[in-house]
Amino acid sequence: MSPTSRVASVTCLGCGCGCDDLIVEIAGDRIASVFPPCPVGRAWFGDGGVPWAARRSGLDSTLEAALSDAADVLAPASGRVLLVLAPDVSAQVQRAALALADLLQATVETATSDPAAVGLLAAQRRGRTAATLGEVRNRADAVLFWAVDPGPRYPRYWSRYAPDPAGTHVPAGRAGRTVIAVTVGQDRGPAGADLELALSPDQEIPALSVMRAVALGNQLGELPSPLQRAAEIAGQLVQARYTAIVHEAEPGAEPARDPYRAEGLLGLAQALNGPSRAALSTLRAGGNRSGAEAALTWLTGYPMAVTYRSGAPEYRPASRGVAAAAGGAAAILVVGAVAALSEVFWDAAGRTPVVVIGPRASETLSPVRVAVDTGVAGIHEGGTAYRMDDVPLRLRAPLAAERTAVDVLAALLAVVRARGVPRVK
Amino acid sequence: MSPPARLRIVGGAVHDPANGIDGDSRDICIEDGRIVADLPAGAPTLDARGMVVMPGGVDIHSHFASSSCNHARRLIPDEHAADPAPAPKLADGEPLARSGTGGSVPSTFTTGYRYAGLGYTTAFDAAVAPLTARHSHSELDDTPCVDGGIFVLMGNDEYLLRQVETGERDRARDYAAWLLRATGGYAVKIVNPGGVEAWKTGQRNVSSIDDQVSGRAVTPRAILETLTDAANALHLPHPVHIHCNNLGVAGNSATTLASMEAIAGRRAHFTHLQFHAYGGGGGEPWSSAAAKVMEYVNAHAEVSVDVGQVMFGSAVTITADAPVEYLLYKSSGRRWTNIDIELETGCGIVPLTYKDKAAVSALQWAVGLELFLLSQDPWRVVLSTDHPNGGSFLAYPALIQLLMDRSVRDEQLKRVNPKLLAGSALADGLAREYTLNEIAIITRAGPARLLGLRTKGHLGVGADADVTIYSRDPDLATMFSTPRYVIKGGALIVEEGYLRRAPAGRRLRVAPGYDDALLPDLRRHFERYSTVAFDNYPVADLPGEPVATA
Repeated sequence: MSPTSRVASVTCLGCGCGCDDLIVEIAGDRIASVFPPCPVGRAWFGDGGVPWAARRSGLDSTLEAALSDAADVLAPASGRVLLVLAPDVSAQVQRAALALADLLQATVETATSDPAAVGLLAAQRRGRTAATLGEVRNRADAVLFWAVDPGPRYPRYWSRYAPDPAGTHVPAGRAGRTVIAVTVGQDRGPAGADLELALSPDQEIPALSVMRAVALGNQLGELPSPLQRAAEIAGQLVQARYTAIVHEAEPGAEPARDPYRAEGLLGLAQALNGPSRAALSTLRAGGNRSGAEAALTWLTGYPMAVTYRSGAPEYRPASRGVAAAAGGAAAILVVGAVAALSEVFWDAAGRTPVVVIGPRASETLSPVRVAVDTGVAGIHEGGTAYRMDDVPLRLRAPLAAERTAVDVLAALLAVVRARGVPRVK
Repeated sequence: MSPPARLRIVGGAVHDPANGIDGDSRDICIEDGRIVADLPAGAPTLDARGMVVMPGGVDIHSHFASSSCNHARRLIPDEHAADPAPAPKLADGEPLARSGTGGSVPSTFTTGYRYAGLGYTTAFDAAVAPLTARHSHSELDDTPCVDGGIFVLMGNDEYLLRQVETGERDRARDYAAWLLRATGGYAVKIVNPGGVEAWKTGQRNVSSIDDQVSGRAVTPRAILETLTDAANALHLPHPVHIHCNNLGVAGNSATTLASMEAIAGRRAHFTHLQFHAYGGGGGEPWSSAAAKVMEYVNAHAEVSVDVGQVMFGSAVTITADAPVEYLLYKSSGRRWTNIDIELETGCGIVPLTYKDKAAVSALQWAVGLELFLLSQDPWRVVLSTDHPNGGSFLAYPALIQLLMDRSVRDEQLKRVNPKLLAGSALADGLAREYTLNEIAIITRAGPARLLGLRTKGHLGVGADADVTIYSRDPDLATMFSTPRYVIKGGALIVEEGYLRRAPAGRRLRVAPGYDDALLPDLRRHFERYSTVAFDNYPVADLPGEPVATA
């Protein structure tokens, strides 16, 4: 019988909630249980078993030989390398990968920013009003779920942030808050709301415009019924002390509408800060995707879609996307969980040599030149990950790692530097 | 080639005001990263004859390594695109040189390189939310060439407010100490005491130091007193660092003076004073109150300030003073980011441009210069632009030129909008010109002393070997923007004006003691209201040893 142990205050990266209050029970070298029993968290941790292989062209290899082969692939391709930042690695790993990208004058795409890009771009155009999740919990007396039910993908949002918990300014918890559910077409708000608004996709942007107008104090004439209802709800938000507008940054049912939704929600939240206070709470999925954007921003000034090709970071949001970038690459380095990459990416990559460093790299279904397994952030590796609200969280590692991604990338950087990377004009 | 462990800097005109040296021709000897009295014959030399030698610059108040800065970076992709920063060509054997982007808030490596290129070797980020301190340390890890630290925001902290409310000043002191240790912080920072909490509750702001904060038995005055006393009782190397209420508001000099008087006799630093030294208000037009404010500062040795000079051109306002940023957004129509940070503080960001033809910008520019020129003690009135709020740190050389050369100042004065300058001392003609020694005081010796950094800001035996060597140039802005040599911790990092080495900076932090009796109550507070586990909150594995408290 293997001995059991418990690790407390473990951070879960199963979704962007970043709950750091988990208790993980270990039996032998496997995770036996996770408390509280959140289904997304349980799936994230699994039993903690991961492979620890290093492979060259599908065959087992020493780590040194694998890194040498990776350098053979990457160094000559300088200027035409694509770095894909995939999820499930810490900010320290993302930072180390970006050092390689800088050296190799690579193009950098994240596997996870593209879906959220419309919101990031809208925020660059007009700014944004946001809050950390604790502000939502402590202050929001009105919680507006816009076309999202957090239950399935963010199971503990409801109980940990809003509307259920008591807060400094909402001592009664759920009873002290007004919950509003907005449904837009197939994008449904949560059940059990105090107020509801159902909109067809075509009514969404007009409704946001009406609500913003109410927040700005504009006088409106007679409106058709769903818009009139939207105006009434906006009137309630104006009367609230602090409104949290919760929305999903991952694509909705009609992605073509997302840029307008993002812009409309940003505008509404900003306008509500005239007569009242309001913040947008943006739901992001797991795996430290906000961390990739944070590290990219502090190192390049841009949160996504960066190329170092000219010798300094350039922003190319209009041509963003891993698949688009893969098509023109001479070599690809994926750092993180390769499962996040779609078939479209692998089709675009074609015969381009691919190096994968990250959790379960050796289980990549598509053929890759080099695969080096590392641990998973927050399970086998410590460091920092970012919650969906950009709060940096401490990661503990309940299981031991045979090697860490930070160390592997540092070793690869040293090998590539030793080869001498030609600067590309 | 690795830098020599020994170096004799020969024959420069040394400006080391902390040691009473004012332009004397002297040798400066360096061994193992420190200034030493002498070196054996045959030690490597650097010929500085005809040049000006000063300690490395020390930036007492800047915003360059924080979560707020990162939000600001996201907001200005246009500025980054206009200012690409290729990797410098470092000497063989150096860490990987990194590219980046500039603009008002450069990327991290570029920030370090540009500080070094300016002759600055120490800098503090002046406003870090404790919750995001982990992020700041990540940025500092990637900001080479400068020793750095962070000031920790406490003036609107929920737990602190509760202690103030109940008169638990000892516990407030212990909490401040715990927070500094947990965050790897260097100093206690107050921003708009109580005003940010008021913004978050819907009260919008406070307008005097005796306003109640959101109906609670807490006033800005009580917050100021509590944290000023806490910092002094903890014998922190730097006293409480105060951003007063009513920043940027006409007539705010009354609040500033009331704040100073509230803690009179107690050591305190008032930051970016320019933004708090306006007359007018109540129906009267804006005017300068620099003379009145500086009269108080000159007469009170316990008070120190940095100026927060406005320089014409692009800037990004980044502050925890979120209600101010809302007003700026409404008045300017520019992009606006607001982030409310749980239980602690806020964050507001608005990019803007200071125009010499805009009356308020011109007044702000004049007020800053007046504060400098009316100062009677440069050791207590030191240089800052509140980077990037009043302008970039890259504008320091142009500011130095304005201080040292009246003709340049007067020429610029002729071009600015005079509408609000009636009665200003600058418009009436301030003839003072700073000397090189005074510049050395306000840019390195003074800030180092105010920060309690005993081994910085001077070139005496035992000091850190942080040295900046300038070629003389009749154009003072050119002289100060392109040092010929910069030495950091004994390593020659700038040679002939080019960055050649980029060592990691040292982390400057304190670890004051506190009574453990605080912890059970603090843990309960976290468990009830925080979304981060108490045991996960402290930043672990910080580099280096804490700076000693007295």
